Amino acid sequence: MNFEHCIRCTICVENCPVMRANPDFPGPKQAGPDAQRFRSDREKAEDKWVLLCCQCKRCVISCPCGVEPAEIILKAQQRYGLEHPRTAAHLLFANNYYLSALGSLLAPVANIVAATEIGKKIFRAMGIATYIPFPKFRFRTLGSEKKSRTRAIKKVAFFYGCFINFYRPDIGRKIISLLSSFNVDVVLPPQWCCGLPALGNGNLALARFFAQKNAASLSNYIDAGYDIIYSCTSCGHTISNDYPDILKIPQAKKIAENTYNIHEYIVKLMDEGYIKPQFQEVRQKLAYHIPCHLRALGIGYPAAKLMSLIPGLECEILDDNCCGLSGSYGFKKSNEPTAISIGNRAVARIMKTGASAIVGDCGSCRMQLGGLSGLTTLDPVEVLSESLGIRHIQLKSAPP
Amino acid sequence: MSVTEYDVIILGAGVAGLTAGTFLAGRGFKVALVTSGEPTACLSTGCIDVCSRNHNPLVGIKELPPAHPYHLVPGETIIESLNNFQAAMSDIGIPYVGTEKENRLVLSALGTFKTSCLVPSTMAAAPQDTKASIHIVSFAGLKDFYPSYIISRRNNSKTSVYDAGVSSTMGIASHFEDKDFLKSFIIWLKEQNIDEDTIAFPAVLGLESAVEIVKTISTSVGKPVFEIPTIPPSMPGRRLFNALKDNFRKKGGNIYWGWPVIGVEKSGKIIEAVTTESKGRPNSLNGKAFILATGSFVGGGLTATREAIIENVFHLPVHVPGPRDTWFENDYFSFNHAIGRAGIKVDSFLRPTETPLENIFVCGGILADTEILKYGCGHGLALATAHVAAKSCMEYIR
Ligand SMILES: Cc1cc2nc3c(=O)[nH]c(=O)nc-3n(C[C@H](O)[C@H](O)[C@H](O)COP(=O)(O)OP(=O)(O)OC[C@H]3O[C@@H](n4cnc5c(N)ncnc54)[C@H](O)[C@@H]3O)c2cc1C
Ligand code: SF4
Ligand code: SF4
Repeated sequence: MNFEHCIRCTICVENCPVMRANPDFPGPKQAGPDAQRFRSDREKAEDKWVLLCCQCKRCVISCPCGVEPAEIILKAQQRYGLEHPRTAAHLLFANNYYLSALGSLLAPVANIVAATEIGKKIFRAMGIATYIPFPKFRFRTLGSEKKSRTRAIKKVAFFYGCFINFYRPDIGRKIISLLSSFNVDVVLPPQWCCGLPALGNGNLALARFFAQKNAASLSNYIDAGYDIIYSCTSCGHTISNDYPDILKIPQAKKIAENTYNIHEYIVKLMDEGYIKPQFQEVRQKLAYHIPCHLRALGIGYPAAKLMSLIPGLECEILDDNCCGLSGSYGFKKSNEPTAISIGNRAVARIMKTGASAIVGDCGSCRMQLGGLSGLTTLDPVEVLSESLGIRHIQLKSAPP
Repeated sequence: MSVTEYDVIILGAGVAGLTAGTFLAGRGFKVALVTSGEPTACLSTGCIDVCSRNHNPLVGIKELPPAHPYHLVPGETIIESLNNFQAAMSDIGIPYVGTEKENRLVLSALGTFKTSCLVPSTMAAAPQDTKASIHIVSFAGLKDFYPSYIISRRNNSKTSVYDAGVSSTMGIASHFEDKDFLKSFIIWLKEQNIDEDTIAFPAVLGLESAVEIVKTISTSVGKPVFEIPTIPPSMPGRRLFNALKDNFRKKGGNIYWGWPVIGVEKSGKIIEAVTTESKGRPNSLNGKAFILATGSFVGGGLTATREAIIENVFHLPVHVPGPRDTWFENDYFSFNHAIGRAGIKVDSFLRPTETPLENIFVCGGILADTEILKYGCGHGLALATAHVAAKSCMEYIR
């Protein structure tokens, strides 16, 4: 990242979803390389507008000069976070993991509160937007499932992330079933939030705390011969890119070298001839919303490649739009209009495809797009499992 | 079963790379396109310059110096490439007007004319003479668009200013995509009681729906309406890029964004794979043939150092127009800077010369002796050479 390489071509500006929706945000060029020339360690950070950046990284991907405006802005956000008191919403979402963990224990109560008008009022008072159904907390988390034990050669440790853990453990189980059907041994390593919510809310210390704990755990599994796989593209991006960069985690390089997106991993198994999946017909037209962070991972769209092997499935790739939610970004009341406006643009494009459902790798994208469009949303794993007729393996769960 | 083996890997998402990719993907080849960032098309006016030196671009091309890469493209391929482009753009919903037989005039923000061959339909109604009167609508706070430049050259023209509530190009273009905004804008426009022959706008009339927006405004006020290209951010340039990209995908092409190629794997005279930077394992893609379309200096294909000019991916020999002190003329705005001739020399298959490598084909702005500024041949040359490179690639693979 070098802000001096900027040739001021404004290509990043054209790609910034926030700038399009919210005129208060000066855009990646001004907030990134332009403002960087005026940032000084000796003066207090006054660039509050950096917090408006949703960290979608679209500016990074589009810049022809390798400037990485989002990374410059991310650092400015951390600095602003350090030097200014945080709002309740920032603190809450930075600590999303603990909040969710608590919510999971108190699931029945938490869901009721979140669903009531009073609950919504409480959330609004804390600065949390409630325009889409707030994710429902699930009672039994994946972390408490027993390790899956099948005899196999390929071994993976699954970093499932908070979304699957707290909101959609069923998808986590589908992933385990799918990989088991491929004769891959899946274990669930001890893990914590990847740290992105903390980073996104300007809390570098907490992000590093999570990252260090995860890195220690994942690193052990790598030493024991496991590959790491992830399904959430934002967790994946954080582990592969933020651990080595902004978080400076010592084991980060080793981890990045051995970490795969779940579909990238399946493609690898096919390329190596380890598996020869027989995809069965699925007659459906899907709109594939590419999460910004999958784009930013630079691994192409492996799930699209797999879905293209399914007979009868029509799957239109849409990667021009951010969903607007960006993890916890859109849940903050002050960002709500921006998030809705960005999301509606994505939905308008999805509606043009005439698809009957939305498929997407990222749980929070699906929440946003499903909420705004009313369409069914699917994880690519659900589509693959259906085509392969994978029966859901019943895992014994530890008592809650 | 290999899922990641490709027939052809294209480097660069510019007009050249996307066109070559679409050609090949449309003929059943497995194509992956990798790119470090977005191309110069996004900075352009969106107009397809074929050769602006003569009223008839095809005649203009014949008059170019013998070393010009246009001479490597058969005449019928030039026409084919323009026809394919126009057909694809109509298909995707942003039609282009014009023919290869004559250039058109596009009114610039300075009031002068730019000569181009194929222009987006949103610019079709631009006057082709200096007499027609124009009503120029500008927007409060919009930078770098000053109607008085145009009026100083056309004293029968007038201007009015609309306050869109935002002042950036992207912001205004987004507002135009909103039906209610468009409605109230049209009400305002009607109140201006415009007498002039045509109505001009800076090119901010939407991004995704520009064609319909121009039509809606035009039918509402009963006058021809056209856009004037702006400096970047350029909406017509982005519409062109988006359309080329969508078309490539529709034909089955795969795009790898954020994939700057930094290394290659070779075996003898054959390139086997290209690799990109990554925080972890090296990311590589295998292909049977490679199309180099990484553009010139702005696109990122070439880098100039104090001593030399480097081709960044394969380190192909670069044709350098002479010692460094002759690269630039004293006049900054000159069209004759010798550095405009720097690039890769190729044979009639668009294979680089002076290298043993067999399976690389080169097209677009990175070619030597293009002098794109001087001859006004940017996108047109990219379309034409992309067709040649794609055809050579097909022959090579067979
Ligand atoms: C400011 C400007 C305005 C212009 N306006 C016009 C106009 O109005 N009309 C017109 O006809 N022409 C115009 N041109 C010229 C025209 O844009 C180009 O000549 C033409 O489009 C050819 O581009 P290209 O596809 O060869 O490469 P480029 O458009 O330069 O694209 C190169 C691509 O390669 C990628 N790339 C570079 N290095 C690597 C790497 N190592 N690995 C992977 N990818 C890489 C880049 O990210 C980019 O996507 C303009 C040019 C500029 C600079
Ligand atoms: S950061 Fe990159 S894309 Fe943005 S203006 Fe600078 S060079 Fe262009
Ligand atoms: S990361 Fe996304 S929101 Fe932030 S500046 Fe870049 S493009 Fe805009």
